[in-house]
Amino acid sequence: MPNGGSYEQAKAIEEMMLRELAWLWPVGALTLAAIVAVVMAMVVPRDRQGIVGAWVAGAHVVAAALAVGVWLDRGFMAIMEGILVVDGLSLTLTALIGVAGALTVALARPTLAGTDREGEFYAVLTFASLSAVMLGMAADAALLGMALGALGLSTFVMTGYLRRSRRGNEASIKYYIFGTVAGATMLYGLSWWFGLAGTTSLEAIGQRLAEAPDGVVIASTALVLAGLGYKAALVPFHFWTPDAYDGAPLPVAAYLSVLPKLAALVALARVLALALPDDTAGWTTAVAVISAATMTLGNVAALPQRNVVRLLAYSSIAQSGYLLMGVAALEASDQGLPALVYYALAYAAMNLAAFAVVLAVQRERRSVDLEAFRGLGRAHPWWTVALVISFLSLLGLPPLAGFVGKLELFTAAIDADQAWLAVIAVVNTVISLYYYLRVIAPAVLDRGPEAPETDSWTAVAASAPLTGTLALTAAATVAFGLAAEPLLRLAERATMLAGG
Amino acid sequence: MPWLTLAIASPLLAAALVPLLPARPSRTPFALALAATAVSGVALAVTAARFDTSAGMQLVEEATWIPSIDVAWRVGVDGMALVLALLTVVLFLASVGYGVGPRPMTRGAAGVLLLLEGSTLAFFLAQDFFLFYVAFDVTLVAMYFLIALWGEENRRYAALKFFLYTLIGSLPVLLGIIALFLTSEPQTFDMTRLAAERPLAGAGVGASLAFLAFFVGFAIKTPVVPFHTWLPPAHVEAPTAGSVLLAGVLLKMGTYGLVRVNLQMLPDAFAEYALPVAILGLVSVLYGALVAMAQSDLKRLIAYTSVNHMGYVVIGVAAAAATGISSRARDLAIDGAVLQMVAHGLVTATLFFIAGFIGERAGTRDLGRLGGLLRPMPWYGSLVALTFFASLGLPGLAQFPAELQIFLGAFDVWPALAALTVLGIVITAALFLLALQRAFMGDTPEPLRRLPDLRRRELVAVAPLVALFVALGVYPRLALDLIDSASWLAGG
Repeated sequence: MPNGGSYEQAKAIEEMMLRELAWLWPVGALTLAAIVAVVMAMVVPRDRQGIVGAWVAGAHVVAAALAVGVWLDRGFMAIMEGILVVDGLSLTLTALIGVAGALTVALARPTLAGTDREGEFYAVLTFASLSAVMLGMAADAALLGMALGALGLSTFVMTGYLRRSRRGNEASIKYYIFGTVAGATMLYGLSWWFGLAGTTSLEAIGQRLAEAPDGVVIASTALVLAGLGYKAALVPFHFWTPDAYDGAPLPVAAYLSVLPKLAALVALARVLALALPDDTAGWTTAVAVISAATMTLGNVAALPQRNVVRLLAYSSIAQSGYLLMGVAALEASDQGLPALVYYALAYAAMNLAAFAVVLAVQRERRSVDLEAFRGLGRAHPWWTVALVISFLSLLGLPPLAGFVGKLELFTAAIDADQAWLAVIAVVNTVISLYYYLRVIAPAVLDRGPEAPETDSWTAVAASAPLTGTLALTAAATVAFGLAAEPLLRLAERATMLAGG
Repeated sequence: MPWLTLAIASPLLAAALVPLLPARPSRTPFALALAATAVSGVALAVTAARFDTSAGMQLVEEATWIPSIDVAWRVGVDGMALVLALLTVVLFLASVGYGVGPRPMTRGAAGVLLLLEGSTLAFFLAQDFFLFYVAFDVTLVAMYFLIALWGEENRRYAALKFFLYTLIGSLPVLLGIIALFLTSEPQTFDMTRLAAERPLAGAGVGASLAFLAFFVGFAIKTPVVPFHTWLPPAHVEAPTAGSVLLAGVLLKMGTYGLVRVNLQMLPDAFAEYALPVAILGLVSVLYGALVAMAQSDLKRLIAYTSVNHMGYVVIGVAAAAATGISSRARDLAIDGAVLQMVAHGLVTATLFFIAGFIGERAGTRDLGRLGGLLRPMPWYGSLVALTFFASLGLPGLAQFPAELQIFLGAFDVWPALAALTVLGIVITAALFLLALQRAFMGDTPEPLRRLPDLRRRELVAVAPLVALFVALGVYPRLALDLIDSASWLAGG
């Protein structure tokens, strides 16, 4: 509080802040879940640590439900003097993080069962989700920096979970160094903004930046972009992606490819819209160029990959490029933000489905090479159906979720007078056909090793969470496309508030 | 009763049921595929009976789907959609009857065929761009698997090329659809409204770009030279029923789109580019015929004649686009173009069956290694002769009235171009007669002397197609009365 305020004023503000806590229930649920998970991990015996996973997954679902509750019950509001914005955009992201986080816990459980720090992993994952939620709500430069740092720290721990794997270590060190440098660069850029505006509020910064010299604005914005671009795997901050995905446990790669990435893109949309209103310094064109570069590089680099995890890593870079089309269009077209939100939901479903299939194959065949997918159709027809659905959806074929997403993004781009970007995205879609088919074709067309003799019931039970997640995400990929209406309406309402 | 929806839903539901059938070999998948196709056929027959030839787009069935972007389940028929949907069902009946892959038909083959059938019908009956595009791409996926799973030696390469080219074609179409959507007021995917309101009327830059996007997409599908290079490998490597459906039905999607979208929704832009389009059509006619002449593989030869025959359709559509004033020429050209789509569908499908029959028996389709086939296989030989004559446009068979109308229509607009087009017919006649001579006359080489004549299964597949193209040749009004473009072309 500013000095000199009366006791009554201070008390009134304190009361208001307490009342505002009601908008933070999802955040509270995740915080509580993480702290309890830490304690549980310490007291629960090692062979029962699955309970911690169940607790954490449940808490994620509850956080998602609370986000829905806040939306329906209380509406949108900028709280804590405008530091946090609880609006359609951040609540949708919170719900998405809740559901996707719970699904990744389910994916991780069969892989992690019996390892030495399983419970701690779930706790760290919850902290990561919490930071991602905060990142999506941040309307303040300082909070933005903190959320990004916390997210980086916890995902770094998750990436290096396999301590004895050299590749895992390399991956997490690389990820960490890149992350720290990118985060520090962003903080430096934010310090420029603070220097220019004298405040950390993004909206206030936006008013000042509009008057500042273009050179300064461009330089500082580029610095800020580094941090968020790194998390979202945008060119030229994408280098860590394939190594980190490949070295990390596969469920962690699935987590990294969805939650931190989408949170960073939502934060990017908010930062650009608030701090650089009305296309200050022509940022929309710059973002469109980054979008084009990201999708092109991701798709071209994916072409020669034989390791399907690295292939999905590059594919996810390309998908970041598509998602960024929505950010690039959000100033000029009112379809930009809804397109971003819809594609984020579709991407979460289809990418998790793709990772779930790859994980299932990796567990059975001990390999993620293209060879391992040969003849999958005969051995596991249902996995193959999920594989075809998720990969064709990533490609953008109708009537799947990815298609409606691309339809929305292309529409937004053309509406925002960036038809050239839509054309580049079309060319990229054609390029991506090659490597998506490269996985689908041997799976469907070739004969391969027969299925192992009927799995024992224990094995089936052990991978039940994985199978369930696989079925759920693949079904969502179809449903989001065929019955797109509810999601499109949601995306339309997932608007942004200004903050304070 | 929503008959059109039933026609589309029946094969799709059956395709969804297929995985639930028992895995051991049985005739159930075949029976299911045949029954579902028959249901579609009945539904379309009822539609044809209820069809009012003097009205335009009609019998529209509508259900909400994605109201926030005005996407709905909208299906309806006009003359062109109805005859092409009927053609689709006829060819699917023949293909299902003949079968794909090992016998009895596997669950996979039945599923892929049914998926292809449902999506093809949805494409021709769609009156909503969202559904139109979804159907367009689903046919692509189904055809990819049909070629890649049951095709011949180089099937993987051919299937990939087919997928790639058609995807390259379909994405510009998507951009064009978005352009029409964004310029309509209020924004809609309703094709009937877009055809009536024509948001991109006039021939500005926007209309030209949209026209180009649609044209490239449909030209690849048709295919128009120089976008045709995917076609020969796809047709040659596909299984017999796959080639039949590819040439008989899927190519028509290109020219159907050209009429439905480019001509009906962007008439001014089309008028501006009509001559270049017609020239591309002429190049396809001549190039397709000449290259076909140089082929020794019967299937490849037939594939190239498709480039030639679809070229006539393109010329007909272009001629209609150029004649804003003379409506007689326009109606002649479009009626002829649509009739040619149907005629070519029936004739070429029969040709691909023929090539499949001989390939299966003799183990080769190389005209250099075949000879004197008329002696061991008189019935087969007569069938081939009849179909070859139909394909080269002999009067009394279906392609003659179609091509004649196209010429008459085109002659009104570009006499020189129409005259050059006739050259295509001459070359086609020559190449078919040559092929007939090489494969059926002369001495029969020893290994071919004992080839069996037509089997019942083969006859059942081909007989209805032959009957139809003879009937259409003798009495073209059978289809022309339904087509009657005058009643729908203007967007009625």
